[in-house]
Amino acid sequence: MAALVLIALPLVVSSSFAIDIFIRVLLFAFIGVAWNLLGGYAKQLSLGHAAYFGLGAYTSTILLIKFGISPWIGILAGGVVAMLASLPIGALCFRLQGPYFAIATIATAQTLMLLFLKFRDFAWGAEGTTIPNQGNSPLMMQFDAKAAYYYIALVLLALGLAITYWIERSWMGYYLVALGEDQDAAEAVGVNVPRIKRDVYLISAFLTALAGTFYVQYIYFIDPNTVFSFNISVEPALVSIVGGIGTLWGPVVGTILLEPTSALVQSWLGGARGGVQLTLYAVILIVVIMWQPKGLLGVLTGAYHRVFRPASRSLHG
Amino acid sequence: MAEALVVRGLSKRFGGLRAVQDLSFAVREGETVALIGPNGAGKTTSFNLITGRYRADAGSILAFGRELVGLRPYDVCALGLARTFQVARPFGHMSVLANVMTGAFLRHKKPHVARERALEAIEFVGLSDKESNLARDLTTIDQRRLEMARALATEPRLLLLDEVMAGLNPTEIDQAVALVGQLAKRGLTIVIVEHVMRAIMAVARHIVVLDHGQKIAEGVPKEIVENPDVIRAYLGTGYAHA
Repeated sequence: MAALVLIALPLVVSSSFAIDIFIRVLLFAFIGVAWNLLGGYAKQLSLGHAAYFGLGAYTSTILLIKFGISPWIGILAGGVVAMLASLPIGALCFRLQGPYFAIATIATAQTLMLLFLKFRDFAWGAEGTTIPNQGNSPLMMQFDAKAAYYYIALVLLALGLAITYWIERSWMGYYLVALGEDQDAAEAVGVNVPRIKRDVYLISAFLTALAGTFYVQYIYFIDPNTVFSFNISVEPALVSIVGGIGTLWGPVVGTILLEPTSALVQSWLGGARGGVQLTLYAVILIVVIMWQPKGLLGVLTGAYHRVFRPASRSLHG
Repeated sequence: MAEALVVRGLSKRFGGLRAVQDLSFAVREGETVALIGPNGAGKTTSFNLITGRYRADAGSILAFGRELVGLRPYDVCALGLARTFQVARPFGHMSVLANVMTGAFLRHKKPHVARERALEAIEFVGLSDKESNLARDLTTIDQRRLEMARALATEPRLLLLDEVMAGLNPTEIDQAVALVGQLAKRGLTIVIVEHVMRAIMAVARHIVVLDHGQKIAEGVPKEIVENPDVIRAYLGTGYAHA
């Protein structure tokens, strides 16, 4: 039922502004879902996922503009580049724990941004570049109809949720939550913590890179300040925390609240937007953390259980 | 019977402190051995060395013929050595069942199989009525039971119990002693660190006494309680007459 509504949505909604918001909700929910695997289930609070978003975006764009390769191939190549990059980055950052890990991940994304600001020859430096518009050309991931982008984003989100659903129910989900709770105790019952962290980071980086390619294909523009932006790193953490960290639907619920709010605030207030939007985010975050650390999903499921059946306890309680 | 664990010349320093010095002892398969001694004697450090949390400065640890020095804790666990912690460390936000399933996944990757094995371990320690409770909501003794179930779910051949009875009341100690006795009866090799002498006398076939990181005595319980060095360093003179 919900799936049908989602599929029919672009057919009944004609406002391009509304479709744009839907696409952003789907995209950021997808990035949130990718982040949540590492940051939510395993509680490794990365604030550097822009690194993979940017690498995905740059890989496909370079392949497209310099070599004429379709972004459909580029999106997968970007995913692979992100996975390869996650190995050394993970090897360095996972030596650290808690806030130190978070700070180290910020540094990795910032470092990549600085590198791409300098790469004038093959990555257009600070000016960035527009993606050449070839009209309606599905093979090059370019469409006249915004609805097409909507469906791609929907498929990405469905993919992320399916992967998360599968992981959550497998041994890997238990291992992730266990190492997030207590690494030493997890190792004592046989959890190879370094390997699990590396593996989930690979998956998370791959998915985030897919979002990067999609995003630049959608906005037809790339520069380091956009795709390696700190906002790109913070947003998935924020939507997960607000929605329900370490839960399947948490990032989706969080994005549904935050993204349209921020888009509406931006369109109402125009120029003054930056500060207002961030202030609003901060207020929502403080409210959620103070009154409902489990996120909005916790409120909703709590209410549901109170009304319909006795408290059921899942993996995470 | 074959040797399950052979520790030889084990040493570990923390800065100037010699936590464990030239420690040697052996545990035969199916035997229950107690490690006793005053606080700071090096008992928990020895556990941490055996299970790979700390790396030994010198010495060797053979378990079922395999050298453990240099292995990480998860490798040691995979070789069949499971432990509990002195202060219970359950995965607080996970249910009792999920905690124990995490241990069971070591040998069984299919969730339904891991679940069955976990339920068996939970039943064995007597937590069946609390399997869906969150681990952090359990009482002290139940958290200890949970740790034991989680360790058992990894299907160990050798179980290392670090002060599982500390802080329990006399009735609970009797329950814990019965539990350890049942495990021993199943043929499991057990090394237990404990201060509760009543419990040690009930479960241990062999006792190793540590003081200041060194072994000061070793033998069957009756010899140990009459050993003047042990009485002076640990038991106190009251114990010999009691």
